[in-house]
Amino acid sequence: MNSQVEQALANLKSGKLEDVEQALETLQEVVYGFGMKVCGVREDAEDTAQETLIRLARQLKEFPDARALAVWLYKVAKTQCLMSRRKSKFAPAQILSLDALMPKESGAAAPAVKSWEITPEEIVLNKELRSKLEDAVLALPKPYRLVLILRDMEQLDTREVAEVMGISEETTKMRLHRARVFLRNALAGYVRRAEMPGARAHD
Amino acid sequence: MTDQHCKQIFAMLSEYLDGELPVKNCRELERHLKGCRPCIAYLESLKTTVEACRRYKAPRAPALSKQVKAALLAAVRKVISTDLSE
Repeated sequence: MNSQVEQALANLKSGKLEDVEQALETLQEVVYGFGMKVCGVREDAEDTAQETLIRLARQLKEFPDARALAVWLYKVAKTQCLMSRRKSKFAPAQILSLDALMPKESGAAAPAVKSWEITPEEIVLNKELRSKLEDAVLALPKPYRLVLILRDMEQLDTREVAEVMGISEETTKMRLHRARVFLRNALAGYVRRAEMPGARAHD
Repeated sequence: MTDQHCKQIFAMLSEYLDGELPVKNCRELERHLKGCRPCIAYLESLKTTVEACRRYKAPRAPALSKQVKAALLAAVRKVISTDLSE
């Protein structure tokens, strides 16, 4: 659960002017960030944040807890993003096939594996990697992009993502895996993995 | 180790990373990994990709305009005061 959302709900319900202002700023940051990741266009992200906050202010009473608020918030923001006026330069709409994404060589390791030489702990998102990651996310078809952003960037759990998307948990997991593999293939050469002790990928 | 087995394992990697794979499949996957370096390598690269996503921070939001902020505060106050009077 997003701790920012939890704190924001407490602030909204305190009723104190400064707390409410703080909460609105926090939630604007959350929704704007989500909008940027999904749409990739600043104006769309601003519209998304503004529309979502206006609706939130009117429906504040309906949220018993932070989880309910987070699911509602992302659901509304997702709808706003899908209705965005400006078309992102990437707008593919195909289905990702796991067979097509799978490495062609024997074993799951795939051709690019030799270049993955950085451990997850060592990742520093430099400018080049940030940009490559943003492009790869925007190149994902939207149903996959939304699931990946909600699960891996916004860090909702599988059940919450399924609720936001209005799909089953099984479909959520399937889309997530395909999206991750797509991204992993797109980032090969930028993010590299540590050589496992004694391990050597098929050449 | 057969290609077919790698293919089955490949489909389970994300659930494994998320700790959502059923115990039976988890054991099967770990048994396979012990003998398949390419699959270990792929799992590591997928883990790195997920970590890159987790560390990604979107650009900061621009400040809300005074008008929007005032409208939002008014709406929130209205809801809160209705709440208190109920």
